[in-house]
Amino acid sequence: MNRLTALLLGSAAAVAATAAPVSAQQKAPLSILRVIDADNYDPIRSTSTAAAEALYMLADTLVSVDFDMKTIKPGLAESWKVSPDGTTYTFKLRTDVKFCDGRPMTAEDVVYSLKRWTDPANKSPVSFRGGQVKDIRAEGDATVVYELKEPYSDLLFQIGLSFASVVDKNAVEKLGANFGVQGFNATGPYCWVKWTPRQELVMKKNPHYTWGPPIYKDPKPQIDEIVWKIIPESNTLMAAIQAKQADVTYYMPYIALDTMQRMPGMQVQRQDNYIYDIFMGFKVDKPVASEGVIREAVNMAVNKDAIAKAIFFGKGQTLPALLNASVLDFDKDAAAKMPKYDPAAAAKLLDAAGWKAGADGLREKDGKKATFTVYGIRNDVNPRITEAMQADLRKVGIDMKIQLWDATVAWGKLATQEFDAFVMAYPYVTATEALNLYFNSRQAPTPNRMNWKDAKTDEMLKAAATAVDADKRKQAIGAVQAQLTEANVWVPLVSQPLWVVSGDRVEGVRAHGVYGAGLYKGLDIKLKR
Amino acid sequence: MSSVTQTLAKGQAESLPAPTTEDFIVRRPSVLRMLVSDVGACISLVLVVLVIAGAILAPWLAPSDPYGGDLANTLKAPGEMGLLGTDGQGRDMITRLLFGLRTTLLMGFASVVFGCALGGLVGFVAAYYTRVSGLLMRLMDVLLSFPAILFGLAIAAIFGPGLTAVIIALSIATVPLMARVVRGSAIVVLQQDYIESARSLGMSDARIIFKYLLPNCLSAIFVFVTLRFGQVILLGAALSFLGLGAQPPTAELGAMAADGRNFLFFAPHVSVLPSLVIFVVVLAFNVLGDALRDALDPKLRK
Repeated sequence: MNRLTALLLGSAAAVAATAAPVSAQQKAPLSILRVIDADNYDPIRSTSTAAAEALYMLADTLVSVDFDMKTIKPGLAESWKVSPDGTTYTFKLRTDVKFCDGRPMTAEDVVYSLKRWTDPANKSPVSFRGGQVKDIRAEGDATVVYELKEPYSDLLFQIGLSFASVVDKNAVEKLGANFGVQGFNATGPYCWVKWTPRQELVMKKNPHYTWGPPIYKDPKPQIDEIVWKIIPESNTLMAAIQAKQADVTYYMPYIALDTMQRMPGMQVQRQDNYIYDIFMGFKVDKPVASEGVIREAVNMAVNKDAIAKAIFFGKGQTLPALLNASVLDFDKDAAAKMPKYDPAAAAKLLDAAGWKAGADGLREKDGKKATFTVYGIRNDVNPRITEAMQADLRKVGIDMKIQLWDATVAWGKLATQEFDAFVMAYPYVTATEALNLYFNSRQAPTPNRMNWKDAKTDEMLKAAATAVDADKRKQAIGAVQAQLTEANVWVPLVSQPLWVVSGDRVEGVRAHGVYGAGLYKGLDIKLKR
Repeated sequence: MSSVTQTLAKGQAESLPAPTTEDFIVRRPSVLRMLVSDVGACISLVLVVLVIAGAILAPWLAPSDPYGGDLANTLKAPGEMGLLGTDGQGRDMITRLLFGLRTTLLMGFASVVFGCALGGLVGFVAAYYTRVSGLLMRLMDVLLSFPAILFGLAIAAIFGPGLTAVIIALSIATVPLMARVVRGSAIVVLQQDYIESARSLGMSDARIIFKYLLPNCLSAIFVFVTLRFGQVILLGAALSFLGLGAQPPTAELGAMAADGRNFLFFAPHVSVLPSLVIFVVVLAFNVLGDALRDALDPKLRK
């Protein structure tokens, strides 16, 4: 009997095995390729883009961000009201929302998630993004009140980020530290199936989902299963897309984009409003980097246009100012103060300041050599960007030493005081957010790696963050942009473009890119076969 | 016919001197003659000489500045700009290859010199002073069990990546290998009668080691050094490929190969050319090392 059972089971398994490829072929999941995985997928614990890009699909936020990166649209909240003093936000929730396990979402779930995010006890690295919270409470089943100690002009943008995702309390409590590692439950268009770290994250359609943000044509997900695959090597990633082993990626090497565009059936699109900027920041309290003249000369000596063109193969855009021109509250007057590319003028400036060229061509002043060390992450573009800058700076007698680190150790190294400057790429949604994140003295030593501690900056940053009036906010954050531009604390380099490449099996892909998430909610995407 | 034989025999008998002890010694061909008779060895010798000359004369041979980039002319194919094209920063490939060769050979040379000096010392001491032999050789066994790449990673983590880190790692990785080779051949030499004679004459240990032991082990050392040089270059290039070695803008063959891998499908020359140079250099040193071993091994002499 046992033998017979074993035989039958074996035959069934064999039949299933042969049948499996057929059914898999019929319902082949949408395969999205990326180069790096997140450390976990708990919205409040991971700051990485790799987590955000998946979390937007797995969970929802109260509000959504439109493709222009400036307009806030409804999300889980149908509407909201802000009190005249800017301290109380009242969100009216949708009543048709369900978690992946079928349980209806209530105001209590939203309160729990937002408190979890902002409560200092949870030690979330992103809790500061929630502002100075006084209280978050539910009023009835469909109203949430978010009360602040002081106005916070960025709140709606921050609540639209994946960190403020609404999650299921039961799942969080059940899984504890393994929430977002071994399992997940939220109200996103797709539901967590399985995560194999550094390999793949599998998600399936949320069968209840009908509440997609109005920025999409169809509020319902169209794909049964999505697999996010990690291919760390960019040549392999390119070959996989070319060979149609995968459907979508926004990590295609820039050099390959033209070739992809020429391939029949392949769609290549660019998000013009993408904000992911690359800059070099100086530690302003280090011997050479503390010299304003050196910083200004570096800003003048580096040929940013050539870098944007050559390193990104014609697909990059020069970052002409401290911030991206597409960002909310970008200040044109401050941008005009940014030194223009002029190596001869840079050399003159250094000469006038007493930095004279020595026998080796390297400048020095009072026995101090014009040399500084830059740290950064070793990725596809940083080695080439820094080397190009190094060559430019050599021409004016400044020696820039490059030390790039593998992503696994880079963040630790970038938290030290060992370096004089650093190269970084970062996503952001508003000018107030970006500058408060990097230049508030409270944020030193990281992310304020510049050690920029200035009372005037702090005052204006606070004025911008707590402004109730949009004009006043723009004025305050504009003043910070002007001050930092004049101080040459940063060398803005390139606005990293977002290009989404999709194969002929896919339609409806539209590049979004909030916080680096190229596909955002992943709605409107359909598979032809 | 017979008259000719007779004449010859007569002539020989008249012209040849009487046989001496020298005539009973089988004359072996010299090392150089053996090397020259081997075509592979000749080619590798020429290549090694060319490679070393190219590395030494790089600043005079290179057509342009190895660090001066030209972002308007990046990734130009061979022939399109310069004989071998340009790299990702628009620098001339010939220049970068020459300077890369210089760094790579310097890295290999320094590692082999430091590693072999220390390893040789350990080997001689272990062979001569049998009391410390066990301890020293077990220590060498421990070192042997660490892969060179792991050493490189550990040292780069402590001192930061760079040529020094690679040289330290490769030197340490060379020490146990050299110690083994030297100890092995020194033990054989130590059993010879002339060592016994030197001891009985009251010569100091240092004098015996430097006057008799070292010269008699030189052939084994020389062969090891030549073969190790090729291995060290390969390992050094691998460490640089991983980003642990030469830092920009220094040209180094392994780092150059790594730089080009992102454009492998579009500008293969950026990666392929330095890889090819590594291949040729390592092959040349290996073939030369093999030929030297054959030439210096009495058992293989004809």
